[in-house]
Amino acid sequence: MPKMKLEMEVNNRKVVKETDTHKRLIDFLREDLNLTGTKEGCGAGECGTCSVFVDGKLVKSCLMPAAKANGAKIETIEGLAKPGELTPVQKAFHKTGASQCGYCIPGMVMAATACLRENPKAGIEEIKERLGGNICRCTGYTKIFEAVEIARSVVAGEAPAGVLDEDEPLGESYIGHNVRRLDAPSKVTGRLKYAADMKLPDMLQMQVLRSPHAHARIVSIDTSEAEAMDGVACVITADDVPGKDGFGVFVHDQPIMARGKVRHVGEAVAAVAAEDLVTARRALSKIKVEYEVLPGLFDAEEALKPGAPVIHDYAPGNVVKHIPVRKGDVEKGFAEADLILEDDFSTQQVEHAYLEPEAGVAYVDADDVVTVISPSQNITHHRHMLADIIAKPINKVRFIMSPVGGGFGGKEDMIYQGMLALAAMKTHRPVQLNFTREESLIASAKRHPSRVHYRMGLKRDGRITAVEFSMLSDGGAYGMSSEGVMRKAAILSCGPYEIENLKVDTRAVYTNNTPSGAFRTFGGMQAQFATESMMDMAAEALDLDPFEIRRINMMKIGSLTHTQQALKTASLDRVLDAAEKASRWEKGAPKVRGATRQDLDGPDTRKSCTLGARIAAEVSGAEKGQRSGASEKTKDSERVA
Amino acid sequence: MTRTKRGRGMAASWYGIARTATIDRAGAWAELDDGGTAKIVTGVTEIGEGILTVLAQVAADELGIRPEDVTIGDNDTARSPEAAHAGATRQTYMIGNSVALASREARNVLFEQIADHWEVEADQLRAFNGEIWALETNLRISMSDAVAICKGRGVVPLGSASFTAHGTGLDPVDGRGAPWQAYVFGTQVAEVEVDTYTGEVQVLGIWAAHDVGRAINPRGVEGQIEGGVVQGLGQALMEEYITVDGHTTTHGFAKYILPTSLDVPQINCVIVEDPDPESPLQAKGIGEPALVPTAPAIMNAIYDAIGVRIKSLPATPEKILKALREHSSDRQMIANANREERARLHERSAT
Repeated sequence: MPKMKLEMEVNNRKVVKETDTHKRLIDFLREDLNLTGTKEGCGAGECGTCSVFVDGKLVKSCLMPAAKANGAKIETIEGLAKPGELTPVQKAFHKTGASQCGYCIPGMVMAATACLRENPKAGIEEIKERLGGNICRCTGYTKIFEAVEIARSVVAGEAPAGVLDEDEPLGESYIGHNVRRLDAPSKVTGRLKYAADMKLPDMLQMQVLRSPHAHARIVSIDTSEAEAMDGVACVITADDVPGKDGFGVFVHDQPIMARGKVRHVGEAVAAVAAEDLVTARRALSKIKVEYEVLPGLFDAEEALKPGAPVIHDYAPGNVVKHIPVRKGDVEKGFAEADLILEDDFSTQQVEHAYLEPEAGVAYVDADDVVTVISPSQNITHHRHMLADIIAKPINKVRFIMSPVGGGFGGKEDMIYQGMLALAAMKTHRPVQLNFTREESLIASAKRHPSRVHYRMGLKRDGRITAVEFSMLSDGGAYGMSSEGVMRKAAILSCGPYEIENLKVDTRAVYTNNTPSGAFRTFGGMQAQFATESMMDMAAEALDLDPFEIRRINMMKIGSLTHTQQALKTASLDRVLDAAEKASRWEKGAPKVRGATRQDLDGPDTRKSCTLGARIAAEVSGAEKGQRSGASEKTKDSERVA
Repeated sequence: MTRTKRGRGMAASWYGIARTATIDRAGAWAELDDGGTAKIVTGVTEIGEGILTVLAQVAADELGIRPEDVTIGDNDTARSPEAAHAGATRQTYMIGNSVALASREARNVLFEQIADHWEVEADQLRAFNGEIWALETNLRISMSDAVAICKGRGVVPLGSASFTAHGTGLDPVDGRGAPWQAYVFGTQVAEVEVDTYTGEVQVLGIWAAHDVGRAINPRGVEGQIEGGVVQGLGQALMEEYITVDGHTTTHGFAKYILPTSLDVPQINCVIVEDPDPESPLQAKGIGEPALVPTAPAIMNAIYDAIGVRIKSLPATPEKILKALREHSSDRQMIANANREERARLHERSAT
């Protein structure tokens, strides 16, 4: 590979290194200088996790060729504070709990630092704008804003530095006490090592060949040319699996690489482990796969029709799981109703978008234990499944959970750990695989897209007499968590209301779409979106306040749930009261009364945000002599005069 | 008629804690260590929710030491007891209780030795924040000294525990069953502004009241609610993974739109604590439930503002505009407003 010599000043230290010409600044920092606090989240300048200072200017290091930074002064997250110390911004992030998974946090700290360097008096609107290029998936940004505002007040000299170290006094217990997150210092300094940051001696890099087809039979795979390449340690396919292939959270229907056919675009077909990433990528292009394209199935309703393509032989009707829940007599309930509402709702497929793409390292230790380090959300189950797949006793398979840079359910599926284990077993060398964002998007499970048909019967006084709820979800190519998601959707379906007569059905089907799996709420939000929309539609029709109709039907202690469990505790009354009071809710039926409401635009809302609004506000503020130091001085001197 | 219209909506929700329709279990080991510190080993690590800090608080409270004195071992199937998966809003409930029970056992071992050493009853002993003392006496020493005394008597203060949550499976015909032993409830109110020219929806305020059981770390609970609300907002208004014949057209963050700092409403959290009677910690959970009511509350608020009900998520500007166009009374109002504004602009340019 062609080389170049780079000279830079990195974190006040002169660096002279020879490196590959293709490297981006982020690669040079992470690979050549081991400054892994700078994270890669998207490789396209969209997420901001790789932000660094280049000659004092905030730059996304994934967009800058390393050669372009030659001669520049670079500052990374590691260089902000001396070892063992924290800057005011870092301290403030620690104080407010602004870091959760921590993966976006180095970039966020850099952006916040840039904001306060450029304007130490930045107001909240300016802070928000300057953080606008950095995505955080965990925190909802709120504690980050709070942190930057506290840091601002210290940096601007409006508050003593001591506020950064102050905590509320300890009472008689640590339970209920706002103990600062113990992992925050390691996150705000970029010192915590995620799987992609780990380096082991003699480690190979893995790349995965993925299916370009949604549904196709694999006629043949020829890996010989790739295997013969210099620097390639091994190529693996489904043929290398020594045990019983198959994983999944509920049904083990997914091979660790496609076996006989591919069922979705992006499914792993083969993988290469090589001395370096570039060789591994080049080797992928030398693998020849012959496909026979099969008719695809892309719609959940189509999947249930007779004659639809069959995705898995074991499920000829394409149904992954059907969960029925029955209670009372729905016919009787609808007959008693004064009002019957019927409608349809749908939700889309949603990506977890954790900032840390999938990554992992595998090795075989000196005692022949196959070890996989990855941000897996379920190492216990992964260990069981991998033991069967590689035909080893359970104690010869070891999973270590590395710090997870966001999961939300998306890292419960064992979609790559099996390939890493196989390559490590075949080479007896450590192997690392780091997904790109594009790879993560096409290969990982999503939130189930759903369609709900709803029928609700009510008495004039607002009491629900019957519900018929039917949900169809697209499970995509593999079962993953579909069964559990359908179960939870069915159990929670009709919401926190005691309904005497109900008929609930939830179904997930196989298609050739990107698989759906576990995602924060596990079917709960799809179901309750429909229910809570229906509740408001019913409230409008019956001229009831939305809180009131919910109180009329709510579950209480002793209520029988939809699955006929008697509740020992129930707090819906209290949370309804709390939300109504906190929001200063103006009572009334939901009849498009926004124009006349008196409870809008309170101090507990943010300002609406329009293009240029802040600049306009600042200009008019400056005109009035309220903002810049100069005009303040003028004002003072005027007063003196 | 004004270009922007505001409205409010609300939604309620419920959720179950820990694994669904099955028995759930988690194990932990605890050791009171030299210097009044502790080692806690359990098969779990942080996925961002703050569980390591929660476990350190729980262990510290049970053992009478400080959270920063607690070291939590790595999550490693070959080195730590099974605590199963990081999901299902189960970490605080399952692993928290397991760590509480294991820590309690280690403390009881220490208390027995110190009581014997001091010649008092074990139930007279109390420990908190690095000190141990006997009620109705002047006896008080540091936990560091107490561990040294205990070890000097030949005993290492250890504990282990397994915590169980008793869910039952569902009947395959009518779904009858008791899937969880703990339930939580929540309610959110959303205030939105809809731009009737562009179809854009801004969420300006969210009031989120959630029962979490006993809150171990209230600031951490707020962090979970705020994060959940913003994920709910993303799903309500902008996020959509699209495939055409199985090929995605949203293959990066330039196409898959996520909420940024400029999309975030002011989030007002209200933590309601209805203690769980089934578990020693009395805590429940908040990870998943936080985002359940957000999208329907926002859709109900959009309806309040402009009179159109979006039943198909996400409520993109395109969908809002289309719905407004098809909504006749509103269409007329917008046409009138546009006409008036044009007339006003015309007047202004004429003068």
